[in-house]
Amino acid sequence: MTARSLADATAAPAGGRAVTPSVWSRIWSANGAGYLFLLPWFIGFFGLTVGPIVTSLYLSFTNFDLLTDPKWIGAANYVRMFTADPKFAQSMRVTFMFVIFSVPLKLAFALAIALLLNRGMRGLPIYRAIFYLPSLLGASVAIAVLWRTLFAGDGVINDFLALFGIQGPSWISNPRYSLWTLILLAVWQFGSPMIIFLAGLRQIPQDMYEAASLEGASKWRVFWKITLPLLTPVVFFNAIIQTIEGFKSFTPAFIISGGTGNPINSTLFYTLYLYQEAFAFFRMGYASALAWVLLIVVALFTGFSFLTSRFWVHYDD
Amino acid sequence: MTTDAPRLTVVTAPANPVWKIVRPILSHGLLLLASFLMLYPLLWMLAASFRPEAEIFSNNSLIPSEISLHGYISGWTGLSRTFDVFFLNSFMVSILCVIGNLAACSLTAFAFARLEFWGRKFWFALMLGTLMLPYQVVLIPQYILFLNMPPWLGGTASGWVNSFLPLIVPKYLAVDAFFIFLMVQFFRGIPRELDEAAQMDGCSPWRIYWRIMLPLSVPVLVTAGIFTFIFTWDDFFAPLIYLNDQKIYTATLALRTFVDSTAESNWSGLFAMSVLTVLPIFVIFVFFQRLLIEGIATTGMKR
Repeated sequence: MTARSLADATAAPAGGRAVTPSVWSRIWSANGAGYLFLLPWFIGFFGLTVGPIVTSLYLSFTNFDLLTDPKWIGAANYVRMFTADPKFAQSMRVTFMFVIFSVPLKLAFALAIALLLNRGMRGLPIYRAIFYLPSLLGASVAIAVLWRTLFAGDGVINDFLALFGIQGPSWISNPRYSLWTLILLAVWQFGSPMIIFLAGLRQIPQDMYEAASLEGASKWRVFWKITLPLLTPVVFFNAIIQTIEGFKSFTPAFIISGGTGNPINSTLFYTLYLYQEAFAFFRMGYASALAWVLLIVVALFTGFSFLTSRFWVHYDD
Repeated sequence: MTTDAPRLTVVTAPANPVWKIVRPILSHGLLLLASFLMLYPLLWMLAASFRPEAEIFSNNSLIPSEISLHGYISGWTGLSRTFDVFFLNSFMVSILCVIGNLAACSLTAFAFARLEFWGRKFWFALMLGTLMLPYQVVLIPQYILFLNMPPWLGGTASGWVNSFLPLIVPKYLAVDAFFIFLMVQFFRGIPRELDEAAQMDGCSPWRIYWRIMLPLSVPVLVTAGIFTFIFTWDDFFAPLIYLNDQKIYTATLALRTFVDSTAESNWSGLFAMSVLTVLPIFVIFVFFQRLLIEGIATTGMKR
């Protein structure tokens, strides 16, 4: 009976037989367009994202060299990773070092320059453009090639230091400094977080500053009590984006070390190690396990950040 | 009252006339120095590309003693194929990626922003979830998938591997959630009255999308298109994995081959080709700077 009234309501031809098609056509007319528009995305989402995630989880428990069928070996890949693979530990260490130093330095520069520019500086658009340019170009192969030359033993940096009588080492091929040249390359690209900081600074209501200056608060106090707290959502956002980008960084380390991660694995980024395992040694199972550990690390980091954010990120409501 | 007035002025304005003049000079001095340091590497590369080979490491001034085109000529022919092949490949891949990304992402974004259907919020949340996914997790299964593409889908003996298809086709399936999100945000800002009125007049969703939404969304489409172009042009990882024959190398991949094969003997050629590979991005930067910066400021683009 309810089906009957449903059918009547949709102005279907009279008679019980029309009930089923008209229910379907109702469902279709309410949902069809949406799912049609989403069709390309659905194919991509299931075929190129969900399917591969599940497959790589399966492969991470196998031995697989692309030529023969995957062989189930249980958790052996993970066990090997954490107990018998010094390169895994090393690549984790390198990546964490890179993230821990490059992200805060990058954000500090971005914030400092943004604060300076935000004081009604003349020529703001020009400065902003100049500081932004490196972060637009910085991820390219060309810049990595350039960096490798600048920091070589006979590179420009050492020529400059020689003016002060300092004999610089070959920064790129000395394991004590090689990672730092990559950190510096990342910090050089502080432009895009700077732009986000500038946009955030413009959101801070001007009357707060007026009130503070009427009460005679020092600039230092204004920064710590007004600017920084109100900017914490932007700091939080920038920190998350930059950290995830840091974990995923690949091209500079690959180009500067010639794909090896040398000297003595000091620039063996996690992504670089994963690439070597997968596409140089064709250990696809082990590389899949490495990828899943990366996913878990990124997820843990993100989750942890959101959990702690309520203690230090300022929200209006 | 007369006693209060001076104290108030002291508090509100640090009325030191010398400081008022000196401070902007100091700030600009600092910023100019910082600008120079930031740009120095880029200027050095540009200068090096025009320097005679013998001078590259002996002369660090930014103005070459003589302008030499040797680097551009020897670099262009430095590999077994000339660089016009690689630049053409890069342009083709990038343009096809831009078209695919704009079409697929705008369709998806339109559905999420404007259409009512069962499960919309659920799918939207899943889509956002893929934003933070590291590419490495899908890398190996995707590679295997493309390697095994059957002939009826255009696969050869090595499937789609060693062709442009693995670089381009995913863009037509809206895999980059970031751009979907960007467009959803923009579509939501377009007044609903417009498409409601069109709907009253019997416009189909397709016509609303094509005739109303897209024409009103030119700014976001241009921004997304520019960023897609830059990201694809610059991409190194996907070409490294999928392209094997030199004749289909993109410019970035060719540049890396150049480093490995001839760099030690042809520095000026290496820098000349380096300059050329970043030149398109620089040109976009010059012409669309405002859009790029607005795109970052409003959406938090990572670069």
